[in-house]
Amino acid sequence: MMVGSKDWKPKILAFLCNWCSYAGADLAGTSRIQYPANVRVIRVPCSGRLNPFFIIAALQHGIDGVLVCGCHPGECHYLSGNYNARRKFALLKGLLEYIGLEEDRVQFSWVSAAEGVRFAKVIAVATEKIKALGPAERLVKKPA
Amino acid sequence: MRAKIIRKEDIAGLLESLMEEYEVFAPVKRDGLVLFERISSASEVFLDYQNSLMPPKQLTFPQTETLFGYSSAKGEVKIEVPHREEKPQLIFGIRPCDASSFVVLDRVFDGEDYKDTYYLERREKTITVSMGCVKPRSTCFCSSVAGGPFSTEGSDLLLIDIGDKYIAQIVSDKGAQLLEKRRFRDATEDELASAATVVKAAEASVGPGVEMDGLKDKLDSSFDDPIWHQLTEKCLSCGICTFLCPTCHCFDIVDEAVDSNGERIRIWDSCQFPLFTLQASGLNPRPTVKERFRQRMMHKFSYFLDKYSRVGCVGCGRCITECPVNLDLRQVLNSVSRLEGVK
Amino acid sequence: MPEVSDKIREAARSLLRQHKVDLVVGFERGSIPLRSTPCFVRREEDVDRLIWDSFCENNLAKYLVKRAERVAIVGKGCDVRAVVELIKENQISREQLFIIGVPCQGMVDRRRVEAKLDGREILEVSETDGELELKGDGFSEIVSREEFLYPCCKTCTHRNPVISDVLVADAAAELDSDSHLDVAEFEARSAGERWEYLSREFSKCIRCYACRNACPLCYCQECFVDNSRPQWVGKSTDASDVAVFHIMRAFHLAGRCVDCGACERACPMGVDIRKLNRKLVKDVKARFDYETGLSLDQVAPLSTFRPDDPEEFMLDP
Repeated sequence: MMVGSKDWKPKILAFLCNWCSYAGADLAGTSRIQYPANVRVIRVPCSGRLNPFFIIAALQHGIDGVLVCGCHPGECHYLSGNYNARRKFALLKGLLEYIGLEEDRVQFSWVSAAEGVRFAKVIAVATEKIKALGPAERLVKKPA
Repeated sequence: MRAKIIRKEDIAGLLESLMEEYEVFAPVKRDGLVLFERISSASEVFLDYQNSLMPPKQLTFPQTETLFGYSSAKGEVKIEVPHREEKPQLIFGIRPCDASSFVVLDRVFDGEDYKDTYYLERREKTITVSMGCVKPRSTCFCSSVAGGPFSTEGSDLLLIDIGDKYIAQIVSDKGAQLLEKRRFRDATEDELASAATVVKAAEASVGPGVEMDGLKDKLDSSFDDPIWHQLTEKCLSCGICTFLCPTCHCFDIVDEAVDSNGERIRIWDSCQFPLFTLQASGLNPRPTVKERFRQRMMHKFSYFLDKYSRVGCVGCGRCITECPVNLDLRQVLNSVSRLEGVK
Repeated sequence: MPEVSDKIREAARSLLRQHKVDLVVGFERGSIPLRSTPCFVRREEDVDRLIWDSFCENNLAKYLVKRAERVAIVGKGCDVRAVVELIKENQISREQLFIIGVPCQGMVDRRRVEAKLDGREILEVSETDGELELKGDGFSEIVSREEFLYPCCKTCTHRNPVISDVLVADAAAELDSDSHLDVAEFEARSAGERWEYLSREFSKCIRCYACRNACPLCYCQECFVDNSRPQWVGKSTDASDVAVFHIMRAFHLAGRCVDCGACERACPMGVDIRKLNRKLVKDVKARFDYETGLSLDQVAPLSTFRPDDPEEFMLDP
């Protein structure tokens, strides 16, 4: 899609931890809560499992935005996975912004299994922000 | 010697006229580095340099080269070959060591058994206007390896700086044609004599470099000598020496694809990389820096000689000046030369 | 610095003579001016090769990883901080090591010195009392050491080795704590400007991996760039792949990088590699109050957590 094209729809990747945020997303679905349909979900056992490379690879291959959701601090199914993730993502987000990647392209949030409404809200907010940025260009790998 | 005179003030005009016919590559200073780049104006050329950082082999053997693209849909595979530049390329101001590096690369890429069409396509349309070295660096050792600061090997024209003008020595027919079209007068006897003086002085100033006498035999018989461990222990196994070397030519071919669409790309590889010889079985016959560095010395100073009757090194000295740990191949090879107890 | 060289040799001689170590890793004179080079001494008679001067720029901790022998290392401030991290990461044990600590006055940036001479080749260098005398064909120039220190040496706040078994010079004056002004300055630029600058820097990269190989904390048997199953990053000079290499290498060093500058010094193309590492150094300090390599007792920041770690960066609609 061309930049500024009215028909452009952002492609957003959401990494959801199995025990909390994925369940939260499920709840949003069963509750019939509406949220933008631009998100593709990838389920991971824990937000701490997320290799930063997944985010980088996504950005390289034309994903416009990445969202990572995990359990609230203290509620991680594996006890401390989300705490480790929090430190990792703090540094990664800082680094990506520093290199010039737009601040809103990569987002992190806590969503619990009971938070169907919150999940929808997180998606909606993230989608709006990414839509406002337009298609991802920096870091995208172009064919030779 | 067939030679014409080109006054220094005429160089800019010459380059401008050459740019109409050729893609001209010349030394350019960018961020403090001297590199060969395509120029669009004579003012970009930087000639007050000893040698470029990256060797001009990039111009016939690029670091990243897409061989072809492929796409597959509905059971049909389409191959797309990248568009090639039509214009011939002229490399202006390269040093004699770098010019002769093309001749070394030709042995490999334009061999009896195999002709590398990607290399040859670029090589055949390349013409070199070399700049002889009035002041060789202390790290140069071209003379040790059958070269010299005013060697004509690999050049179509060789420029000799005699002060306010250049003697343009005509080395090949290509070079002759290039000058014929543009009127330059013949060099006089006096001017040729000045050139001879400059050349002699430069040749005398090239350092002792590598003791080549008997080196190959010593290398061949000292393969298992423990001295190799000592000599190579500080090597970091990076790829600087191989990438900056004008004659190194190892490459890898990789496919980069997303689903069923992709490209086949040739990229430079380095025998110094730890995984260079990693085999599918998991065995790596060159597991440490000792084996890898030794291999490079053997390849350039013995195996290449066996196969191609010439040493695979042109003495440019880039590996010496840029090695992050100052691993100096002159010291390594001279140590091997002096080994006692090996034939 | 002849007194320091003498003390280093003395220490090495004594260690080898008493069979306290099998190997001393230090520096010896290089083969070209402005270079000193890593040196591996195993015999007492080779001890006089060891020197100390303003060109001992390599990080020798690199050569300690997974050694079986008892080793003595001639370590300046940053080398020793790298050693501390390597010990914590079980790449070498404290018991195997004898640290000959050298309080460091900073190392001279040879490329800047060469640039100052504007093409004239330096054939001989001598160093006295804070000055370097550079001699070449028909010239002799004196420059001040201080003026030509590496950027990382200028911001170094740990010139004195944090641990050592013997110190071979008087303590070096330490600068005030690192205020990361360089990072703040870069952060103050617009995102577009930052991307422009880094794109330009990365365009110079030739994927030689000298930065990675010079780094003492990069010791993976198979680096992520070498993986092909899965292939994390392409191996060509594609702009996106080059950026990813540098970004991810910097990230792999988060909380582990001692900011010694070995990467930057090894790079033949002058890429501003430390730009990314410096950002992580600043963030690790600001967020987790951690400075790499200061103590064997401090746990690496990404190996631990606090329940109240800052999370202001998170999306909370």
